[in-house]
Amino acid sequence: MNLKISALEYVQEVKTGNISAEDFVAKTIERIQNVDDKLNAFLTVNETSVDQAREIDKKIKSGYKVGDCFGMPISIKDNICIKDSKTTCASKMLENYISPYDATVISKLKQQDAIFVGKVNMDEFAMGLTTEFSAYGPSKNPWNNDYVPGGSSGGSAVSVSAFECVASLGSDTGGSVRNPASFCSTVGYKPTYGLISRYGLISYANSIEQIGPLTRTVKDTAFMLNMIAGLDSNDNTTIDNKNEDYLSGIESGIEGKKIGIIKEMIGEGIDPKILSATKNAISKLENLGAICEEISLDMVKYSVAAYYTITATEAGSNLARFDNLRYGYDFPLEGYEFNSYISKARCNFGPEVTRRLIIGGFVPSTGHAGKYFSKALKVKMKLTKEIDKIFKKFDLLVAPTVPILPFKLGEKIDDPVSLFLVDINTVTANLTGKPSISVPFANSNGLPIGIQLMADSLNDKLLLQAGYALEQTVSLPEVPL
Amino acid sequence: MVTEEEIKKVAKLMRIDIDDYIEYVDKVHAMINYFDILDSAGVEDEEISMPEIPISNLREDKHIPFDQKLIEKLNHYKGTYVRAPKMSS
Amino acid sequence: MTMIGLEIHCQLTNLESKLFCSCKANYREFKINENICPVCMGLPGSLPRLNQEAVKKATIIAMALNCTTPEKIAFFRKNYFYPDSPKNFQITQLNIYGDTSVGGAGSIMVGDKKIRITRIQLEEDPGRLIYEGSSSKNQITLVDYNRAGTPLVEIVTEPDFETPKEVRDFLNILSDVLTNLGVANPSLEGAMRADANVSIEGGKKVEIKNIGSFHDLEKATHFEITRQESLHSRDIEIIQETRHWDDKRKITVSSRSKEEELDYRYFLEGDIPWIKMDSAIHTKLQSEMPESISSKKERYVSKYNIPTQVADVLSSDKYYSDLFEASHTESNAKEVANIITTDLMGLVDTREKREASKFTATHLKELADSVQSGKIARNSSKNALHEILKTGKDLSTVVKEMDLGNVSDESELSAIITQVILEESQAVEQAKSNPQTINYLVGKVMQKTKGKADPALTLDLLKKQIGI
Repeated sequence: MNLKISALEYVQEVKTGNISAEDFVAKTIERIQNVDDKLNAFLTVNETSVDQAREIDKKIKSGYKVGDCFGMPISIKDNICIKDSKTTCASKMLENYISPYDATVISKLKQQDAIFVGKVNMDEFAMGLTTEFSAYGPSKNPWNNDYVPGGSSGGSAVSVSAFECVASLGSDTGGSVRNPASFCSTVGYKPTYGLISRYGLISYANSIEQIGPLTRTVKDTAFMLNMIAGLDSNDNTTIDNKNEDYLSGIESGIEGKKIGIIKEMIGEGIDPKILSATKNAISKLENLGAICEEISLDMVKYSVAAYYTITATEAGSNLARFDNLRYGYDFPLEGYEFNSYISKARCNFGPEVTRRLIIGGFVPSTGHAGKYFSKALKVKMKLTKEIDKIFKKFDLLVAPTVPILPFKLGEKIDDPVSLFLVDINTVTANLTGKPSISVPFANSNGLPIGIQLMADSLNDKLLLQAGYALEQTVSLPEVPL
Repeated sequence: MVTEEEIKKVAKLMRIDIDDYIEYVDKVHAMINYFDILDSAGVEDEEISMPEIPISNLREDKHIPFDQKLIEKLNHYKGTYVRAPKMSS
Repeated sequence: MTMIGLEIHCQLTNLESKLFCSCKANYREFKINENICPVCMGLPGSLPRLNQEAVKKATIIAMALNCTTPEKIAFFRKNYFYPDSPKNFQITQLNIYGDTSVGGAGSIMVGDKKIRITRIQLEEDPGRLIYEGSSSKNQITLVDYNRAGTPLVEIVTEPDFETPKEVRDFLNILSDVLTNLGVANPSLEGAMRADANVSIEGGKKVEIKNIGSFHDLEKATHFEITRQESLHSRDIEIIQETRHWDDKRKITVSSRSKEEELDYRYFLEGDIPWIKMDSAIHTKLQSEMPESISSKKERYVSKYNIPTQVADVLSSDKYYSDLFEASHTESNAKEVANIITTDLMGLVDTREKREASKFTATHLKELADSVQSGKIARNSSKNALHEILKTGKDLSTVVKEMDLGNVSDESELSAIITQVILEESQAVEQAKSNPQTINYLVGKVMQKTKGKADPALTLDLLKKQIGI
């Protein structure tokens, strides 16, 4: 059985009866058992997946209405809640936490008869760029096991890229879906802020993060978006997308579209291979009829500092609830006083999370009033103004997703600022709320390179059309697994 | 300049026991130092705002009990109170 | 000059649901931790969903206190660790980026004095703590989250109070206003709490927290003023600090000095967008507001000629004004008001008594009409009221059962009058020459009828029978 098919191909095959959901899911589970020891993408595997698939086959046979997914195996980043399942955020703090409710995206996919084959690895509480900060060990890049898969949705990207599932849902706060997608050669999507409900996504930086799909093709992403996007009464920050159909018209092309090349994202420090891939992508876009022109977003150079200041502040608050009193891990409270107990319990956070919490206590504090947090917010405001102005003249923006090639495990783990800067091309979309996609574009000595496109708020449909168009211009090698 | 003293204070504020403060001083110092770049952004005049929604978008005032006995899912101790350590007097 | 300011927290228990989720706002009837959901428990991944009616009610309160109301309202996080706070932050309101709390500067009259309101904000109540174990060794804190997320309106005043009595008067008026608006029930236990800040002679401000009731508030402020004056008279500095009210010893005690200053790291709540409150909303809310206490009072005095003191009582207590509104007519208004404030008041002076009372507006109207038309005497009406309150029986039944009705049957009365005339021939002669003295004969008829003779009819028939 061929596992190397896209989501839409899977659905087609099952619909027409060429394959059964049970067979495919069984093969998927087998695949996970074969390769995941090496890759460490999965934290938990759903033992009942094959049984669920069998039920769906029964439904199909008896002519009952089946959801659009037809039993498609999907992996879920372990910061998205599935009812009665462990949700750990790759942290020891939530070692045994079982969520009593489903995230909205999970309910929606359940209704569409998706099968969640497992929860996948991530940087602890989504703070990181390489999955090396997971409390359960890093995931490995399927293209070269000595290299990082990117992060924080590393497990998502690995599981899709290594055919351990057909699609995945991750979360993107500063590039956490796009970055691993680029490093593992999959499509990674961060929607307009508010397009997808965050109810059930364990918050890291709630004012800028979004759940996003990782898939093999751009059409697959549009397919996922159709099922999970839309207004949700459980999330006051969701916006009305008027039930947009993201798949229809996806092949419309980009003739005549104006695309801005963000100069600050191809500047100093960019790997020459990435630069040449970007130039190649630009000429491909021009061949498709787009008009490409260099533009400047001055605030980009402050965007990383602003991003880490804002996210540390929000994380400091969002993670305050983890005091081990209502849920968490086993740690008896007899003999302790309240503050000493929770301070000790919170030692179970990993070192990176602890660092961010320290920063998060520092930067908004009254002692340093106005210096960091307030300035960061103002940078966010100004960057948004700048990009809004650009989008009055341009339809899309282009840049490489990551300015450097995937690097080796352990290479950047001791240098926080150097690690920060891996994000420089992706945080802008989060800070401004604009939708952004990473499309696998090139491969340099076996290391994947992704190209990033951005569109104006709620122009997700156009963005997907552009992503599809770009995707069709290349034919990439298969992952060596 | 981030001192060990400041890290201690903030760790206390954030309720995290840190074994080795020295280890954190360098990395936190490097991170905060990097944030100094914000000083040259020239954004003093920017006003902070957020997206706005009309009051009619807000939730209707209705009592809808949660569909499960939630406390049983979270905590198995002492009847149904959540237990916490004693408070300092 | 003594300056006292207040910070009052009032629960909006008349709402159906909590501020950010659909659990019940009034948590009092639930068993421990049975009025909770992922949102008010702050479970990972949960998000707040703002209650539309809470925003409206809070805005109405702001309007009733003559406060400015902003064009958009915003929410902030106040970060601190405490077991009763499931998220370890409270969602509340601030005015960091312009005026974004539900209410800005306002005022309310307490007698002749104007008390200024600083601001009004909407926020969530935390859960409740219980301490278990006698020795400090075994002590455990037990937490009940049923109350977590209950909508609170915080009303902050300027330090305009000069005496504890003014504070007490203000709180009574505020309670009446809030009850009248139908937004809260201050008589419920814990529904309204207040902290105070006290300073004397323009000195440092001392905050007093942990005050259980309004009665305690008066005591606490009184104690604190005395304490400060005592220090001042001995030239000892009054430290700016937070003290808590020790109810057992009836004193304020310095709260344990905190080594780290309270740093709440306030910032905008990213899960709740700003809410547009345009003038159309404000106009609509204004038009839907119930009539204010002062407006009612004015109406009672000018339209129905009800005496000022009576109108005062009627208008300030919603229980009475509701009864009045439902039972009065143009003609019996004064009598209704009278019955409420003289006969009824003593019988329904507590919440429990009011809940148990079976005396309805229909009963009241009938009673008032009967007294006015002379069918039943004033004394008898009081007895009737007692009985109806207990049993709920209708007036005619009670009158019959207790034989309270005035004798107003002409023939019956005539017979009695004839009898009296026979017995009191001397008085009759006197009355013929001096009509004023006829009252003695009226009195005799009253005696014979045990006070139930219709006085007007009696006089009429007497005069006729005597021939004057």
